[in-house]
Amino acid sequence: MISTSEQVSKAFHFRKEWLVSLIRFIGLFGLAFLVFAIILLAFGKNPVKAYVDFFSNTLGSTYGFSEILVKMIPLVLTAVAVAVPSRIWLINVGGEGQLYIGALFATWGALTFDTLPVWILLPLISLLGFLGGGLWASISGILRTKGWVSETISTLLMNYVAILLVNFFVFGPWKDPESANYPQTAQFVDAATLPAIGDTRVHAGFIFPLAALILFYFVLSRTRWGLEMRAIGGNPEAARRNGISIAKYILLLMFIGGGLAGLAGMCEVSAIQGRLRPSLSPGYGFIGFLVSWMAGGNPLGIVAAAFLLAIVTAGGDILQMAHGLPGSVVSILNALILFVVLSRQGRKVGLKW
Amino acid sequence: MVGSFLEGLLSGSILAGTPLLYATLGEVIDERAGIVNLGLEGVMLMGAVVGFTTTVETGNAAVGVFAGALAGALFNMVFGFLVIARRANQLASGLALMFCGVGLSALLGAPYIGSQIKGLNEIIILPLSDLPLVGATLFRYDILVYLVVPIAILVWWVLFYTRWGLSLRAVGENPAAAFAAGKNPYRLQYQALFIAGLLGGIAGAHLSLALTKTWAEWMTAGRGFVAVALVIFSKWHPLRAIAGALLFGGAISLQLQMQARGVPVSPFLLDMLPYLLSLGVLAVWGGARRHAAPASLGQVFRGTE
Amino acid sequence: MNKKGSNIGLGFLAVLISLVIVVVFNLAGTISAQPKLKVGILHIGSIADAGYNQAHAEGVQVMKKNLPNVEVIEVENVPESADAERVMENMISQGAKLIIPASFGYLDPALRVAKKYPDIKFEHPGGYKLAPNLGTYWVSTPEAFYLMGIAAGKTTKTNKLGYVVALPISFFLANVNAFHLGAQSVNPKVETRVVFTGTFLDPGKEATAANALLDQGVDVLGVIVDSPITVVQAAEKHGAYSVGYHYIGVQKFAPKGWISGVAFTWGELYTRFAKQVLDGTWKSEALLSDLSSDSLTIAPFGPAVPAEAVGLVKAKKQEFISGKLNVFQGPIKDNKGVERVKAGEIFPTTNLGKMDWLVEGVIGQAK
Repeated sequence: MISTSEQVSKAFHFRKEWLVSLIRFIGLFGLAFLVFAIILLAFGKNPVKAYVDFFSNTLGSTYGFSEILVKMIPLVLTAVAVAVPSRIWLINVGGEGQLYIGALFATWGALTFDTLPVWILLPLISLLGFLGGGLWASISGILRTKGWVSETISTLLMNYVAILLVNFFVFGPWKDPESANYPQTAQFVDAATLPAIGDTRVHAGFIFPLAALILFYFVLSRTRWGLEMRAIGGNPEAARRNGISIAKYILLLMFIGGGLAGLAGMCEVSAIQGRLRPSLSPGYGFIGFLVSWMAGGNPLGIVAAAFLLAIVTAGGDILQMAHGLPGSVVSILNALILFVVLSRQGRKVGLKW
Repeated sequence: MVGSFLEGLLSGSILAGTPLLYATLGEVIDERAGIVNLGLEGVMLMGAVVGFTTTVETGNAAVGVFAGALAGALFNMVFGFLVIARRANQLASGLALMFCGVGLSALLGAPYIGSQIKGLNEIIILPLSDLPLVGATLFRYDILVYLVVPIAILVWWVLFYTRWGLSLRAVGENPAAAFAAGKNPYRLQYQALFIAGLLGGIAGAHLSLALTKTWAEWMTAGRGFVAVALVIFSKWHPLRAIAGALLFGGAISLQLQMQARGVPVSPFLLDMLPYLLSLGVLAVWGGARRHAAPASLGQVFRGTE
Repeated sequence: MNKKGSNIGLGFLAVLISLVIVVVFNLAGTISAQPKLKVGILHIGSIADAGYNQAHAEGVQVMKKNLPNVEVIEVENVPESADAERVMENMISQGAKLIIPASFGYLDPALRVAKKYPDIKFEHPGGYKLAPNLGTYWVSTPEAFYLMGIAAGKTTKTNKLGYVVALPISFFLANVNAFHLGAQSVNPKVETRVVFTGTFLDPGKEATAANALLDQGVDVLGVIVDSPITVVQAAEKHGAYSVGYHYIGVQKFAPKGWISGVAFTWGELYTRFAKQVLDGTWKSEALLSDLSSDSLTIAPFGPAVPAEAVGLVKAKKQEFISGKLNVFQGPIKDNKGVERVKAGEIFPTTNLGKMDWLVEGVIGQAK
């Protein structure tokens, strides 16, 4: 047992090292913002005014800030969806597809059981969302355990199959008879809608990413399963010789990862959109992958990275409205941030914790 | 009537398959060198937008194609810097490249939306184009279509019959061994990415200058990712990629052709085929297929990079 | 390395802090001379698309010209997901009092925002639900498409007409049906083939669809997607004729093969909306105008259209306006043989939202 004073000094040292890493991270972001400012100048825009508008619009109002949180909910979920399997070096690029299938399953539940009361229906469709995403990812998990296809490839390809599958249902059997033949399902009943908090669009679904982060941290650092996962991640051969079943963890972690992304899909369809449409997600699965890699799979880093990317994505509006730039120009800023972070990662994988 | 259906299907496949094939050939080259580029979509978009804007400004589509190719190559060099010099994670870098390409192409292309160009016109090779069936489908295309198969053969020949190609593949299999044997893996990988960028840029330029003769944001609509799947489907082999591109291009045009003929078909289920086929092909030939991927590429896929 | 990193980091931290200070100061004083009315408009695509979005954008420009004290906040490429809500909220926080969410899929987000801000007025094109502060507007287009059909029926040499359509939305189906009925009325031998691309804008797919139709011998191509450029150009390249939609200036893409087009000219309507908001007479209603409306304009005819067709179109237009002629008067069967409109009955324009079938003689899948 280490003494209390030793524990305290260890914690303090940990905090200082952590703070240094954080400052370095902020410095990197500053570099990306600088390059973006130069690009703005090159196109004849005033970067200072643009940034002022950018931040005051996103952080300077309650609504703006709430919108960041709204975006963070699916982003954190899809990021943890990548982080969990990444602990044993599985690469899950299929968050987008898993999100869509999760939404699909949740929609089925909402449309079929629309007479159930909210305290049964809402948990039911949440479960369905998790199940849908989990099963979809499990396909890739099985292909991987059989040694047939790497999960990177299969999850990537399954994204497109998932989106097409959702299109099939939305254009066909589930099309809303009230919407002039437009490809969308009927609107969810109130019992299937995640309630919003106050006046904002932040909704009760925020408990999912919160729980996911806490559980992830807790399981990984405090439980035997976490120990086994880290063993596999560190030295798979030794882990296998010690009797740890790698195949079991591959299947389990892919399922959990997919399930989390599926929850993100359920949140989007239930709380934000209110019905299933082809344009469900603006790429949350892919952005989540980037968030997870930026953060090195570290829960706090995921929150920070998701926060940053959410600000950038939301900030695109004002750049268009006040500065005449095409909205997708914020993709450049996102990319720059990523480039800058990625160019440092070769040496060190994310924040150490 | 069947004849005209086949004609239509074939010409649709060829037209849709050409940009796919260019992009796939590029991706085959860089994956053979051990690098996965998920940002191919962004490279194609840069080729499409620069090709289009250059053609609007100069009035010359050939100049547009060259400019698009060059833009793709330079854009890929950014990616090269990240993954070669900085040894960044290839998958994340690729995705970042894609987002950058989407945004940058939108920015560059915004003032040119709605512009008119003459574009790449069809070169009709008389009297070949008057041959029944074969004539109409095979000999009424723009120059990029005619060039794509010879270029595919050229890529195959270079990869498997030249020293450069051999060194490149050696780097893809085992960079350390290649280095020990006196090759410079970094330079070879940069060269591979440059060429891949040229081809990806041409793919994009074909889309905006020949097929549609217009520019719209994100007009590649996922074709870059289809090309990545196509590389896998063709087992990283340029000649098989020809058949694959025809097949995938066919799938894209098949559902539209069938609609035009009044055949009831679900476009979405049809559109899924290319991806399911790729997965199937990999799963069925699982063991052997795993060795078809360049070994160090496998490292990326296994996550030890 | 560690020290250098923290120095750079601290440096940028300083920059960040100073930015925050500037933000706070800026928020303190942003009130300046206000125009009398700010109008916000959301576009699903680019305003230079020579199509749907450009028509709306030019409408707003005409409104601005007519009413100099009106300011416009314009955002392009807003996806039809829930981001639209955020954009509308942003516009409202910038002072917009009238919002025009110019795409079908913005209806749900607009209704949600409308509920939150009862003082802000919304006008949604093509919507099917109203709110106390949200009205809808559209022009009945089938009559215009019928007229296009007449011109096409008289111009075609192969009697094969084709349509590239984004989605099988009822209004689009109604347009295609009307087109075919019009063509059939002057040329009983015509058939119309429809291909759906599945999305509002995908030039690659539109070109492939157009080629597929042209390969079949279709020599008149119509188009219902956001931007008609790709399809019209494909027709022109092939030597076929084209019928445009949305925007009044599409004929420059097809100087030889242009027949005509159905264009939206929203300028005067938007001016009226703005005036109503300004003087407090605005009310929420489901506005559905007809051929006589100034929001709809038949594009000038191209050189290939025979003169008698032009005369016929003018005559029929008057018959529609006077109510003598109706597009969907029975008997009408759909292309699966089911009778949809009985003899002597008329399918009312207000019911167009329920039309999910294609008429006999149209080759394609409505579902």
